[in-house]
Amino acid sequence: MISNPISLMIAVPLIAMVVAFMTKTRSQARIVALIGSLVPLAISLQMFMEFDKTSEIMQFVESYDWVPSLGVKYTVGVDGIGLPLVLLSTIVSILVVVYAWGENTRPNQFFALLLLNEVGVLGVFTALDFFLFYIFWEIVLIPMYFLIGIWGGPRKDYSAIKFFIYTHVASLVMLLSIFALYFTYRTPAGGRTFDMLTLIQATSDSTLFSPMLVNVIFLGLLFGFLVKMPAVPFHTWLPDAHVEAPTAGSVILAALLLKMGGYGLFRVIVPMMPNVSEHYVTLMAIIGVVSILYGAFLALSQKDIKKMVAYSSVSHMGYVLLGAGAFTWLSVQGAMFQQFSHGLITCVLFMSAGTIGHTAGTRIIPELGGLADRMPKFAVLMMMGFLASLGLPGMCGFIAEFTVLTGSYATLPVYTLIVIFGGIVVTAGYHLWAMQKVMFGPILKKYLDLHDPHSYELLSMSILVFLIVYFGVNPAPIMDIMGVAAEQLIEGPVMTLAQMGVV
Amino acid sequence: MIFSDYLSLFGAEALLTGLALLIIVLGLFMKNKNLMGCLSLAGLAVSMYLVMAADQTKGAVFYGTMQIDALSQFFKLVFVTVALIVVIAGLSRYKNHPGQDEFYGLLLLATVGMMVVASSMDLISLFIGFELASLATYALAAFDREKQNLEAAMKYFIFGSVSSALMLFGFSLLYGLTGTTLISGIADAGLADMGPVTLIALLFVIAGFGFKMALVPFHMWAPDTYTGAPTLVTAFLAAGSKKMGFVAAFKVVLIALIALRMEWYMAFAILAAITMTLGNLVAVWQNNVKRILAYSSVAYAGYIAIAFVVVGAAAGQIDGFSIAANGLAGGLLLILAHAFMKTGAFVAAAVVAYMALSDGKDNPDDIEHYAGLGHRAPITAFCMLICLFSLSGIPPTAGFVGKFVLFGSAIDAGLVWLAVLAILNSALSLYYYLRIIKYMYVNEPAGGKISEPKGYVLALVVALVGVLGIGFFPQVFVDLAYRAAEVLLL
Repeated sequence: MISNPISLMIAVPLIAMVVAFMTKTRSQARIVALIGSLVPLAISLQMFMEFDKTSEIMQFVESYDWVPSLGVKYTVGVDGIGLPLVLLSTIVSILVVVYAWGENTRPNQFFALLLLNEVGVLGVFTALDFFLFYIFWEIVLIPMYFLIGIWGGPRKDYSAIKFFIYTHVASLVMLLSIFALYFTYRTPAGGRTFDMLTLIQATSDSTLFSPMLVNVIFLGLLFGFLVKMPAVPFHTWLPDAHVEAPTAGSVILAALLLKMGGYGLFRVIVPMMPNVSEHYVTLMAIIGVVSILYGAFLALSQKDIKKMVAYSSVSHMGYVLLGAGAFTWLSVQGAMFQQFSHGLITCVLFMSAGTIGHTAGTRIIPELGGLADRMPKFAVLMMMGFLASLGLPGMCGFIAEFTVLTGSYATLPVYTLIVIFGGIVVTAGYHLWAMQKVMFGPILKKYLDLHDPHSYELLSMSILVFLIVYFGVNPAPIMDIMGVAAEQLIEGPVMTLAQMGVV
Repeated sequence: MIFSDYLSLFGAEALLTGLALLIIVLGLFMKNKNLMGCLSLAGLAVSMYLVMAADQTKGAVFYGTMQIDALSQFFKLVFVTVALIVVIAGLSRYKNHPGQDEFYGLLLLATVGMMVVASSMDLISLFIGFELASLATYALAAFDREKQNLEAAMKYFIFGSVSSALMLFGFSLLYGLTGTTLISGIADAGLADMGPVTLIALLFVIAGFGFKMALVPFHMWAPDTYTGAPTLVTAFLAAGSKKMGFVAAFKVVLIALIALRMEWYMAFAILAAITMTLGNLVAVWQNNVKRILAYSSVAYAGYIAIAFVVVGAAAGQIDGFSIAANGLAGGLLLILAHAFMKTGAFVAAAVVAYMALSDGKDNPDDIEHYAGLGHRAPITAFCMLICLFSLSGIPPTAGFVGKFVLFGSAIDAGLVWLAVLAILNSALSLYYYLRIIKYMYVNEPAGGKISEPKGYVLALVVALVGVLGIGFFPQVFVDLAYRAAEVLLL
């Protein structure tokens, strides 16, 4: 039992970041990074053990006044929506550090930025005050900007600035909606508050929030989250950022940063859905389906395997949106699990693409061939990742997508059928085609002297593959908590922290 | 009223005036003038303490022409802080410089002028403070006596004189209409019924202050002067002297001319919108970092001017008082934040210019010289990084807190279009700040590591502490700003 586990979990990588930045050598930097991400992992596992899995209330809540005259508090806590993502963040963060063990260019800055990133995402997934939430939401941009800008590929300048400004504008639109919530609502005592749960609950009060106002607020928030996810047509920053980012950056971007958008959907958007126009359901369903299909077709047409993986993320995140829009208990639960499972799977995919890039010297699919012959261990791991990504039963991707589609059929049958008949085949197609071309077939002469990548890369990929299979066979530990949270989202109004009796 | 009462209210000004004169006189006799910087530093530190000690006092002196209250103390704090940072950096910049006594003397006199403006409740004393600060800064702008300095100072002087003339003409009309120069007297005189001549007075007053605040279309001098003047003086102009324009405008427009609210409200809305958009758009195309910062300063004038609009729009609404207080407090917070981050950014620019000059490069402020600064001068680069993030409003920094409160208040006042425009501008500004950051951290260094002069480093660290302090612990500063705002509204 640790007191204030969440603050500790955020503070440790923050301190480790400063220390890592000061280090002089690579070995010092990476040790600091390893310790700095191991501690949060331990804390999050401990939290997972102690978490009351049958309860829908916020747990491990801490709340302190920060700027009382503006109604800003430092409030953090987790429930079934946040905890799995916290767990995902700590797992992915440490595995990225392990994968990037051999980083040679400015290692102290590199590992410091990875840690800062962990601070940001953990903050987003635990903050319960909009001011705090926004701060963490924006902090995440800084390390990612530098990761792309310093360690990126040839077009890194353009991609880094595009990423920063595109997502920053979306955050600002979200901020406008937050302001509207903030200024419309007054606490019973007459003050203002940024408390997320209170404000979200208040939107159901139609005397305070006119239908017009609440629809506009909803749209602004939705836009902010959709850009982050990203959903078609706001996805154009993603391929640029992914292709240019270093492998560790891509992994974090896909596995954690995109999840921030999805988290926003469950924390803010879904609870507000009963109060807004029904047309939004159609809008979300259409954007979700288009993202799934368009992302899949774009992936199919890519020559660069990393770009293909990037578009597959757009496609997979579409399921999250579809599941959230369908607004049934099962679909929301599935969408939450899709976030978790995509976070694990996409890591393997991007690590594979990165490893191919730096061992073979190219990521262009038609120029590769037969790598499995010289890289057998790597080929197994990559194959597992790709199969999980196309939704093979027995792995966590299948569970998630199956649940989303089953749950969504109840309320959005047409859209679901379009996905089933249009998307799944294409998804399987591009994965298998890429795998076939890159890994199998006769080995090309120029690749004869390749060999398996470094053991730390294999280690981090195999841990991920193990988790993918484990949660594919036994999703219950994570899915059960999500189920409780999803039920609460669908059935009841949001409870504030005071109503839960936790502050 | 006995002498000691004056001392508790005006101790800081008296100390600085005496010190400035002492420094100028001592400078005539002393060979080694490095002592002057330390004297000014000590004087500023003591006056900062005096200002903060008089934080809760309220009192009027000199027949009601000067008033000490939360507002005046807030602005004095801003001015003294900026002067303090500039003097610290000056310890390195003007070490062993033969004319350094004049630099410090003028700087202190300018600070006193600004502090007088901050306390004035009368048009005449306000004007005198204004001129004292302006005359001292005209000379400072030419201080390094290079060709570009002289051009900058000349431009500044001509535009400054015209703006003083406009302002004075506006004041004379107000005096003629109301028969008093006391700001409270003008407010009580019922200007609203006095016909179109009040509009002319308003126009001239806004134009006169507009020059100092660098609002478009009165901003033309600012980028040239900021680029040409010695960088430390630029820091003082952008972060200090410009704020004097704001405090004067707050007093005259929001107190004396509140009756003409409907007239100036729209004018300020349009000025604010144009100023921030133009400032940011032009900054995008610049390659000279001082010029980029100069245009960003213009853009900031636009943001801060939103405070006027919010106050104008709030009157007559339910909760009007709290909306107006929010807006003004936001404006004040942004002024405080801007003082720290702009001074920091300009001091960092001074370090780079120093570095480029010692490398024998022309054009010392060119963005090319920032390449690899993170490696060449790590402390400077890091402070610049935080200042730039703060300027672009990335949390948790001072700039974020200021923008957050100010733009939020615009929404609260129903000025959604203005808030949206401000926020889009904020995003646009990110582009040119990121460009500098990219040069500093992404590009390969153009030379070896340099030793950063101690004075500059200390100045940068003070600015950094300010920027992050306001960002992490906003409560104290928010309270200060609210108390100051209430003075204007009550």
